Amino acid sequence: MTSKRFVIIDGNELSFEEGETILQAARRAEIEIPTLCHDDRLTPAGACRICLVEVEGANLMQPACATRVSPNMVVRPPTPRVTRNRQFTLSLHLADTIQDRALAEDSNPSRLHDLAERYGTAGQWVPVDSPRPGRPSDDNPYIQFRPDRCIACSLCTRYCDQIEAVSAITLAFKGAKTTISTADERSLTETTCELCGGCIDVCPTGAMTEKAALAWGKPEMDLEKVRTTCNFCGVGCQVDLNVDRAANRVVKVTSPPPGTTVNDGNLCVKGRFANDFIHHPDRLQDPLVRNEAGELVATSWDEALDRVSKALLSVADEHGNDALAFISSSRCTGEENYLMQKLARAGFQTHNVHQCAAT
Amino acid sequence: MQPKKARREEILDRLEEAGGQRTGVAKTVQRQTLVPEADIFGVATFYSLLAQPEAGIRVCQGLTCQLAECEHLKSELEADGKSSVFASCLGRCDLAPAFWDPEDESQIDRAPGSPSSPDLAIDLAAPDSLAYEALHKAAEKGPDWVVGELEASGLTGRGGAGFPAHIKWQAILDQPETERYVVLNADEGEPGTFKDREVILRRPHLVIEGLAVAAQCLEARDIYAYVRGEFGRVRAALEEALQAARKAGHLDDGVTWHFVDGHGAYICGEETALLEALEGKRGMPRMKPPFPVEKGFRGKPTLIQNVESIACLAGILRRGGAWFRGLGRTEPGTKLYCLSGHVERPGVYEAPMGTTLRELLAMADGVSGTLKAFSPGGASSGFLPASSIDMPMDFGGLRAAGTMLGSAGVVVLNDTVDMVWAALTQAVFFEEESCGQCSPCRIGTQILRQALERYRDGDPGALAYVQDVAWGMGEASICGLGQAAALPLTSALKYFPEEFGLASAPGGSTTS
Ligand SMILES: Cc1cc2nc3c(=O)[nH]c(=O)nc-3n(C[C@H](O)[C@H](O)[C@H](O)COP(=O)(O)O)c2cc1C
Ligand code: SF4
Ligand code: SF4
Ligand code: SF4
Ligand code: FES
Repeated sequence: MTSKRFVIIDGNELSFEEGETILQAARRAEIEIPTLCHDDRLTPAGACRICLVEVEGANLMQPACATRVSPNMVVRPPTPRVTRNRQFTLSLHLADTIQDRALAEDSNPSRLHDLAERYGTAGQWVPVDSPRPGRPSDDNPYIQFRPDRCIACSLCTRYCDQIEAVSAITLAFKGAKTTISTADERSLTETTCELCGGCIDVCPTGAMTEKAALAWGKPEMDLEKVRTTCNFCGVGCQVDLNVDRAANRVVKVTSPPPGTTVNDGNLCVKGRFANDFIHHPDRLQDPLVRNEAGELVATSWDEALDRVSKALLSVADEHGNDALAFISSSRCTGEENYLMQKLARAGFQTHNVHQCAAT
Repeated sequence: MQPKKARREEILDRLEEAGGQRTGVAKTVQRQTLVPEADIFGVATFYSLLAQPEAGIRVCQGLTCQLAECEHLKSELEADGKSSVFASCLGRCDLAPAFWDPEDESQIDRAPGSPSSPDLAIDLAAPDSLAYEALHKAAEKGPDWVVGELEASGLTGRGGAGFPAHIKWQAILDQPETERYVVLNADEGEPGTFKDREVILRRPHLVIEGLAVAAQCLEARDIYAYVRGEFGRVRAALEEALQAARKAGHLDDGVTWHFVDGHGAYICGEETALLEALEGKRGMPRMKPPFPVEKGFRGKPTLIQNVESIACLAGILRRGGAWFRGLGRTEPGTKLYCLSGHVERPGVYEAPMGTTLRELLAMADGVSGTLKAFSPGGASSGFLPASSIDMPMDFGGLRAAGTMLGSAGVVVLNDTVDMVWAALTQAVFFEEESCGQCSPCRIGTQILRQALERYRDGDPGALAYVQDVAWGMGEASICGLGQAAALPLTSALKYFPEEFGLASAPGGSTTS
């Protein structure tokens, strides 16, 4: 509900909705404010401090991501102080992580480096080398945490808690040692983790990354994204296959950004990680039928469907319609399941129809 | 996400019962409280007393205790076969080199500094009284009168911020929400500060009475006393006084008193970090607004007050706000000043607000050696040169001078002290005690400590951009820790440039 209340941001008089933050109001008006620790789906942490803006009447700069607008609030256009803080924050985070962009983006793209390029820095500072513990013995198959790139923004832990409702990971230790950990620093597979990989998607630095893609060795930005629909279930999540064209290979699967598709930036373990079948040598690429010697041989879809329909009709002829049963897969959509029961009920007049996910 | 039935507020106690963080403990506490296991691990590893449960004796490595050769004490303990670790300031700087043995707290028992006098608001040396006159008078006259007297007294918060007390009380009275809380901040951790410890040990009834007045006036049904974990005897003294007051029939049975231990984190003295700790979370300060008077403990209006502030109440209500105001010189009231470091008689001295260092030194039998520098209000206040010896020590004046009265932990340094070393000692403290939540403080404290180490080790260019880092820490940190953490370095650079190889004080921006 838009009320008739106004806030002034960068000289623009904007109406705002109850409870909106400076960042939300500004974004609606296409006024850019940089953020590192923010995601619209999560409660603000106010940790990275890059989004600070000057609000008239306040001595200290205020975090745009967490400060609610109020009527007649005036947010100044980026003053030298605001600009200096952005550059300070970027130098700070770079000194604490990986300053070399190519190295930082060896796998995932880095929002931190994007912002450093766009806003500039206060100079290159001596690396800090924070003593953040990792979990080197975590032998889960998919997710790699690299503490030297972590900015302790807590996007991953907030995601795991507030969106997945899993709470497998946490901010742990204190001060310079602050890191991302699990209970007793166990492997993710020995926690409540569902291996959804959402923590990778929200990470702004590539500190959370995918083991297989890291091993493949090509940065994400050199891969081509091919949008498709996940075929593991009927939800219809949109996925981006990240394809290495030169090798003709799907290297990993990512989610389209939040707010753009039905899955709102989320995926499950199957959609995100269960893709090694794509290039598996045992993968079936043609229908198989048995020849007279009883061996499976490749054939055309016409031939295969012909064999199936003849076999179904002959069972029905010899033993009656109720000798047939139709079971569809949990990977089918609602429409496909509808067609399956239509085939059973209308085609063969039997109620022997089921779907494997209906227990 | 924790289940609705989870009992998060219990987890710190449960972790303590279980003997601190060890493999498997998070699981046990998860079964008891239903809080996700990872969250419990995150909390356990935040608090030093839980994260290192078997560390043994804590030896203070604060500035004052380093001047008193705490390293030597540690080696002696080790020679005796006792395990020990260094810890941040233990609130016993008068006893430097200080230590905390969880099994034996007999080290903290000392006479206070100033002699008893009727012109002192707290008067540590006077016998503690069980009369509770102020409480009964407040009951009779009502909340408006109490807040009126508070306003007349001009009492400002003694925990460090110097915020007028009556504004907080009135703000709570103005809240429509009737579930309200009163919290005593006895987490005293600012290096150089040990006054709250003395107040509770010497005059616990002043504290109990003040809290009872607050609960009665603000209609709070629960009072929480948060006492730093290394103050076992202090907590015991407070609990004993509560029993006595209850026995004497002074207290409202409808009010529940809770005693909560700190678990070894300086940052939990910051009021919103303290609230997080009470709620069973990592002690990371909240963003403000909203302030605790509006949304505090459990999101309800909460009064948080320092021990010394609370202890001033009884006198104010008994003898009148005007009396208290008149005690001060440049600002209202008397103030407990903690003197430690190179002074002949370290201790807590109560003197009119605005007393100078020269006068305080006279009370403490003078400097040991020749005065070079001092911190007026703990590590967070940085350093002032000897030439500030006649500056009135109050909230406004010191703030205007780019420093602060803070908790009035006055640390005196003589001319044997190397200011690079002194600044480095404070930098180590802030790096150790940063909660790690926001980047300016978490990373900035590391940069400053590393730059000082490199400078000490002979790299003349090591301090090249520390002023830029200090600027950002002061401007962008979430809480007072990060905002003040660069002050020891920037003030040392300003007043002692020659020790940093500079001909004059550096220009450019500093924190303000
Ligand atoms: C880093 C930090 C540490 C603090 N430590 C303490 C403390 O140990 N004790 C205390 O009373 N106040 C401490 N404070 C101040 C509290 O946040 C708060 O202002 C105070 O408890 C309010 O009570 P008062 O108004 O009576 O002073 C600290 C503040 C900061 C920023
Ligand atoms: S993979 Fe999903 S469930 Fe596992 S830690 Fe990451 S966000 Fe949490
Ligand atoms: S791993 Fe990534 S998302 Fe998680 S805290 Fe570190 S930088 Fe942030
Ligand atoms: S300034 Fe330091 S102590 Fe305060 S919230 Fe930030 S990291 Fe934590
Ligand atoms: S985006 Fe606001 S503090 Fe990080």
